[in-house]
Amino acid sequence: MSYDTEHVRNAGDTPGVSIGIRTFAELLENPSLAKLYTSMRGSATATGPELVDSIAVSKKTVYDYLHKLEQAGLISKVGDDGGTNVYTAEEFELTVTVRETEVSITPELVEVIAHKNEYPAVERVLEAHGIVTFALVYDLVKAHSEGEVTIRQIASLTHLSPGTTYDLIEALYSILDLGEDESNPTTYTPDDFDEDEANLLEEYAQE
Amino acid sequence: MYTANIADTVMFRNLGKHPSPHLRSLKRAVKKAGTEVWVPAAVYHELSDTGSANSPTNPYLDRAVEEGWIRVATPLLGDRTEELDRTAGPVEKARIVTDEFLNQQSKYPETNNWTDATLVALAVRLFDTNARIRVITHTADDNLAKACARIPPEFGYYEIKSRYYNPPQTAKHEFPTVDQLTWSG
Repeated sequence: MSYDTEHVRNAGDTPGVSIGIRTFAELLENPSLAKLYTSMRGSATATGPELVDSIAVSKKTVYDYLHKLEQAGLISKVGDDGGTNVYTAEEFELTVTVRETEVSITPELVEVIAHKNEYPAVERVLEAHGIVTFALVYDLVKAHSEGEVTIRQIASLTHLSPGTTYDLIEALYSILDLGEDESNPTTYTPDDFDEDEANLLEEYAQE
Repeated sequence: MYTANIADTVMFRNLGKHPSPHLRSLKRAVKKAGTEVWVPAAVYHELSDTGSANSPTNPYLDRAVEEGWIRVATPLLGDRTEELDRTAGPVEKARIVTDEFLNQQSKYPETNNWTDATLVALAVRLFDTNARIRVITHTADDNLAKACARIPPEFGYYEIKSRYYNPPQTAKHEFPTVDQLTWSG
């Protein structure tokens, strides 16, 4: 049965899924837990022994984390491989709205947070500025890779110092593998711009 | 014909503070290419370490400035709050037009692009004060790179190329090369 109440909306199934808010919060704090979830999300299915081999934590910790993620509804058992449970990661979006600011925590953000021990800028911004600023920088850096904003515009919009902004941009480009694969750099010349395009000087003078 | 290179802050952030092997590569490439690297005063300021001493030091640029292969431009005139004045000089107009252009291209049209705009304004100033000159600009922002190639021609200066590094960290290896610092590269 589907529900569409003030607090619960679901599509065609009973709202039986348990959502462990504490584990969602821990995903943002604990890079090893975030890495385990991200690693499972990167492959269709995974088993405990496979994860023990791929994550730099003890076997006991891996199984504790699997239990925690399953309890929170972030992974599900989908089969059995010779007595070993087979899991798959579930997608999620946790939306929080405070004082007219809405932030969506998604697996894509968790994937970046999983690298916070390797990139001090990620940890620095999360701890000093919080998840809203971090999520904003994440979106703006993706926009930068598409040429939509400049680095200084990112610093201005997020109120981060230029130095922190440069460090975080470098980290996010590296983690997310952003940018063009073609030969670098691209060179623009005046010939790249159509003569029919507006004369900016005249346009602004008229304004 | 003299070729001047103008580099944005992100270039030097990628090369690292002195002493750095990438800065040494840039020094070699600059000498081999027979050029100089210019930085706007605002870029010098962004890279300065103003934390402890009364007189700021610049761990990225000071040694190269002393050695004479990086030149810091004197601050550009003009005020962002001023509207475009038809009687203003080309350098000032170029800076205001670039600020407007960057806002027009952005999803967030209320940001302050005054420092970004110094790259274009410095290019126009170098053209304005040197008869036989070509300019190559270097940045990791697409819209700014486009502005660098598009706006100086509106003031009659066409001898400009604008290099755009994406992802920014490719500047570490691509910027300090003779190819990128020379007109034929």
